[in-house]
Amino acid sequence: MRELFQRAGVLGAIVALLGVVVAGLVFGSGQPPDRAYELEQRLRCPVCKSVSIAESMSDTAVAMRATVSEQVDAGRSDQEIVAYFTARYGDWILLDPPAGGDTLLLWLIPLGVAAVAGVVVLTRRRPADEQGQLDDADRQRVTEAVAGMRATAEEEDRL
Amino acid sequence: MTVILAAAGWSGAALGAVSSLVLAVLGLRAQRRPESVDRGHLKAAVQCVVGGAVLSMAALEVALLTDDFGITYVAENHSRATNVLYSITGAWSALEGSIVLWALILAGYTAVVLRQVRTTDDRLGTGALAVMGVVGVFFFGLVATVANPFGLEAVPPTDGAGGNPLLQDHVMVAFHPPMLYLGYVGFTVPFAFAMSALLLRQGGVDWLRRTRRANLVAWTSLTAGLVLGAWWSYEVLGWGGYWAWDPVENAALIPWLVATAFIHSAVVQIKRGMLQAWNFVLVLATFSLTILGTFLTRSSVVVSVHSFSQSPIGPALLGFFVLVLVVGFTLFALRGERIASMSRPESLVSREGAFLVNNLLLSLFAFVVLLGTVYPILVEAIVGSQVSVGRPFFDRMAVPLSFALLLAMGAGPFMPYRRATGALLWNRLRIPLLAGSTAAAAVVVAGVRSVGVVAVVLLAVTIAAAAVRQFVVTLPSATPRAALHLLRGQRAYWGGQLAHLGVAVVALAIAVSGGLATRASENLDLGGSLEFDGYSVTFDKTEEHREADRLITDAHLVFRTGDRVDYVATPRLTAFDNQPQAIGAPSVWNRPSGDIYVALSNLEPDSVAVNVYEYPLMSWLWAGGVLMAAGGLWALGGRRRRPAETTSTVSGPVGADGHA
Repeated sequence: MRELFQRAGVLGAIVALLGVVVAGLVFGSGQPPDRAYELEQRLRCPVCKSVSIAESMSDTAVAMRATVSEQVDAGRSDQEIVAYFTARYGDWILLDPPAGGDTLLLWLIPLGVAAVAGVVVLTRRRPADEQGQLDDADRQRVTEAVAGMRATAEEEDRL
Repeated sequence: MTVILAAAGWSGAALGAVSSLVLAVLGLRAQRRPESVDRGHLKAAVQCVVGGAVLSMAALEVALLTDDFGITYVAENHSRATNVLYSITGAWSALEGSIVLWALILAGYTAVVLRQVRTTDDRLGTGALAVMGVVGVFFFGLVATVANPFGLEAVPPTDGAGGNPLLQDHVMVAFHPPMLYLGYVGFTVPFAFAMSALLLRQGGVDWLRRTRRANLVAWTSLTAGLVLGAWWSYEVLGWGGYWAWDPVENAALIPWLVATAFIHSAVVQIKRGMLQAWNFVLVLATFSLTILGTFLTRSSVVVSVHSFSQSPIGPALLGFFVLVLVVGFTLFALRGERIASMSRPESLVSREGAFLVNNLLLSLFAFVVLLGTVYPILVEAIVGSQVSVGRPFFDRMAVPLSFALLLAMGAGPFMPYRRATGALLWNRLRIPLLAGSTAAAAVVVAGVRSVGVVAVVLLAVTIAAAAVRQFVVTLPSATPRAALHLLRGQRAYWGGQLAHLGVAVVALAIAVSGGLATRASENLDLGGSLEFDGYSVTFDKTEEHREADRLITDAHLVFRTGDRVDYVATPRLTAFDNQPQAIGAPSVWNRPSGDIYVALSNLEPDSVAVNVYEYPLMSWLWAGGVLMAAGGLWALGGRRRRPAETTSTVSGPVGADGHA
């Protein structure tokens, strides 16, 4: 009985603590995002090797960062700023490939592969009746032996 | 001298190639008819392979150390001013030399495999030696032909061009590349045994058991290599990060992911006889992905498709990759079905079910990273337009997959084989869950509002607590001796748990250092200052240091609280005499609570543009990496169990033991 209360207590504590977590995350106020920095991370530095302009020390990146800051201060939206850069450099400038055009497949293929893999795992489970050629007496003995083993194993599992 | 060195080096490679060919032929013949080949002949062939590799490497090192600019590789990648350390590492700092290192390590692994093959009656072993020989023919052949570092200069220059400055700026160049190659090349061994098993039509777990050590050595080295690389990049490159999803980095991560899947699914086959076909696929994939990775990083195909033809090594590697894939999968398709059982787990909620889920997630992860890496190349080759696939894409794919992997890792090791019940799982996980949710609530109360960070804290603490709980519960008595006995008795399981603990720590460090980082970016005139994280940071002065081949300029930024000086950051800019572009290096202040990272984005005599970051818990990332590698080493240690012994140890007290 005491053990039961203890277990219920643990469950209650976990639920309460997770409640605190969720409430904190939902109602707590985080810091406002740094829009300019977020945009900078999505734009590729044209003169470097695969880093964003936020991370690059090159003069070009410095100039592009200044442009981003100016446009953010001028109140332009993220889409407008991104469009400004793609108009000048093409889609190549986007480190975050859009889900459309040449990079549509990039998004669809992983989703497709994940879906197929999930379906295969969930449906191709071993059938329960895969028991081979046993006569009834043998099957009875196996079932009893398995039940016995399982009981012992479950005893041990309750550690 | 020049001619002698070049001749010796090239002959070494040629000797390696020829004796690899002999090894391949003898090995295959021995596998067909064991009595027709003497083990002594196999041994002689392997000795020649090793001798050739050592000769080649030694010639290259001597040429570098004696400034022998008559040899092209030395003239192009070395200069008189290069110090001894970077002269030695120069042997693998450029393409041709790195293939010599590859061949040397391959020769070493081949010698290790030979030691296992005690007689030619061991048909699995002789076949594996043959496959190692075939791979050796390719790599020694590269060194002797298209990747020959021993070409001669018609007119030897008085001084060489010097190497890549980034590879002469940090001692890590002596450790990271050899470590990575030890991992990469190590996967040749399981590949060789798998191919040999297919050739022999011999399924079962023999090939897995015999490659377990090589797998673990390779996995541990690759893990250590990746972490060292991340640390190097963090300490040196100055853009403020450790992982950029750069193709070169991805090329090392992809085989690591597949290899991690493989060392897990090998357990399932050894313990439960399942996933046999899948293990062949994973081994084939791991090996071919190391080749593909080398191709991607070494052929400059990543930078642009149009520079493809500049290096003949690229097409050679690509050809070998295709050959491995075609031969490997053809053999698998012809023989795999017959020798590999197709049995599947009866329930996904079981240890083997969790392994299966882990395998799918890791494979999917590897696939997504591979797709993102090659997609721009494919689009440019097929459509002709240029696109970029960068961090935002990889992060968006990696984050959910990593969370799913953490979930599997939290539950999997604590489930029994065959089938787990909800009651059992709850029994084993409620205390860890309590610890995890307490930690999560604590960080929320402390003011953290990032969902990702809180979720990782919850999962990581739960995983760590579950591992500790399992250990405490399994411990027969609370004495250090009993603890050591338990850890030694089930090395594989507890090594795995140690590695999992490392993964949890790494996940925590990645989430916290990324999610809770603060940053400031400012232009400072001499004497000017900025406020950061409670410090006042003043730009004090710049200093110049002249070294043999470079001019180092560092800026002194003084961190003060009140009047007390806490730290002087000296981020620097290094101008190499032989390079037009100076390279920056950050200054990293390791504090227990987190790093202060100072990088220059511009440096004038009287003004700097400086980026200052604070990365909380950053040092945990390296600690977690060390734990992961330590887990691999722990599982590796100890005597190998004999097959009879393994069948008698059915399972530990809680059915929680790993594989033999």
